[in-house]
Amino acid sequence: MTRRRTGRLLAYVLLVVIAVIGFAPFVMIVIYSTKSRIEILQVPPTLDFDLDQIVANYRDVLVTRGFIGFIQNSIIVTAATVAISLTIAVPAAYAFSRLRFRARDRWASTILSFRFMPPVAVAIPVLLMMRFVDLENTFQGLIIPYVAFSLPLTVWILIGFIDEIPRELDDAAMADGCTRLGVLWRVMLPLMRPGLIVAGIFAAIFIWNELLVASYLIQSQGLKTIPLAAGGLISAQRPIDWNVAATVGVVTIIPIFIFSLFTQRYIARGITAGAVK
Amino acid sequence: MTAGTTREGHPLHQRRDVLLLVSPVVVYLVIFSLFPLLYSLTISFFRWDQIASTFHFIGLGNYQELFADPVFWQATGNTAVLVLAGVALQLFIGTALAIFFDMQLRGSWFVRGVLILPMLLTPVVVGLMWRAMLNPNWGIINYTLGQLGLPQPLWLADPALALPTLVVVDSWQWTPFIMVIVFARLQSLPRDVFEAAATDGASSRQTLWRITLPLLMPAIVFAGIFRAIDAFRSFDVVYGLTYGGPGRLTTTLSFYGWENGQRFARYGFSSAISYVMVVVAIIMVTLLFRHLAVRREDAT
Repeated sequence: MTRRRTGRLLAYVLLVVIAVIGFAPFVMIVIYSTKSRIEILQVPPTLDFDLDQIVANYRDVLVTRGFIGFIQNSIIVTAATVAISLTIAVPAAYAFSRLRFRARDRWASTILSFRFMPPVAVAIPVLLMMRFVDLENTFQGLIIPYVAFSLPLTVWILIGFIDEIPRELDDAAMADGCTRLGVLWRVMLPLMRPGLIVAGIFAAIFIWNELLVASYLIQSQGLKTIPLAAGGLISAQRPIDWNVAATVGVVTIIPIFIFSLFTQRYIARGITAGAVK
Repeated sequence: MTAGTTREGHPLHQRRDVLLLVSPVVVYLVIFSLFPLLYSLTISFFRWDQIASTFHFIGLGNYQELFADPVFWQATGNTAVLVLAGVALQLFIGTALAIFFDMQLRGSWFVRGVLILPMLLTPVVVGLMWRAMLNPNWGIINYTLGQLGLPQPLWLADPALALPTLVVVDSWQWTPFIMVIVFARLQSLPRDVFEAAATDGASSRQTLWRITLPLLMPAIVFAGIFRAIDAFRSFDVVYGLTYGGPGRLTTTLSFYGWENGQRFARYGFSSAISYVMVVVAIIMVTLLFRHLAVRREDAT
């Protein structure tokens, strides 16, 4: 009995250790983001917080360095990409789930396989294409390839969700004289909401974090997305101001944090969508 | 027969519907994914003149240069370590975590939720975060080690430690991915198998090795291949954590390709690097699909 109790105690200790490893980095950069350039060099970091310093750091990052603008840019690019991807992907996913046609599974796998292509392999051609149509260094020029990146997984996730909706619903609606498109629009779309959310979340995470292709396509400071702006702290020739870097980290993480509060259950569901069936 | 099934059965209607529904995705991917991929293959046979904005055909010149380039081989080796050692580490810890969380300790759902966070983060920021914590002068990690009387290595500056440190940081971010997949599989397993094993007097170690792990294997393999393909193209975390250094010790193939393409405008050479990557990626994707196909047959 006591042996069992020690086992249980050890398990709880382990749980705490896991939580610390998972969460401590977040706590640390929040602490670093409250320090001045000098204070951050102090070990161990003190826990006395100076409100003026905190305000100064965050004002520096959000206003002076323009991160409010970068966050806006990321929101615009992400929202547009997700909206366009879903619009194109829904009909295709419906067809892959419901209609029978030659080499259907092969087509579906081919589409998914583009999810795994290294972005570095298409960055240069995409840059040259966008230059050709005069969309280099614009949001449109970034959104167009981003839609191509998010389509494969979006289609794939949606197929999984449509497969779970009973076929009898389609048949009943068609028997009532509804066309295929009518079924998709009136019957399926309302039922697909969780699928749209999961697919949207995954596209959004990818685009929100994308650095490589953006670094080819965007040069103007005013058009930079968050990863580009955060990366800009590093490529600068002078040493990194770590309190600023930490503040940038916090500012970047907070939107993700809030987002994950609302979407957590969908995230686990999306990751496992392809895996567990 | 109802009107509906007749309509569905009609081949002409059916074909028109398929065309209408599927073609937007196919056309989009052909123009903005497949075409760039082929374009990039073409570029790899050319030299880009940045000043004149023109390409000069040089045949296999870029590939010759590439295969004679020690940095390319270094980057290939680094990427291999990141994929093989990194994914192995993540699979081991991720599976262990999934089994641990399956014990359903009080509060473990919360810790599981917390562990979702790292994989949502911008990898550049993950790199920066860890670079701060690993700072040899004021970082929290070496301070803690010092307090415990342990050695305080120069994580990112020490040539022997830079790549292993990158592997660990990447694993911090991605082990939860494995955990989530394996945990979901574990939850979906029929419980009576375990009860039967217990009544037959199997020890918990026997149950783990003979029952749980074999049943989890499909999910572990899937997660491993999936993660390997992503680790293979690692770029951002390198950018944030080490910028490829010290020297070239943490430069990955993606990073080297990006450096040549984005920073030095050597489009042809960069595309040659990318193409080597594309070939490897295609092999890995084929493996993944073969695994998925086998799984589907299992299921039916």
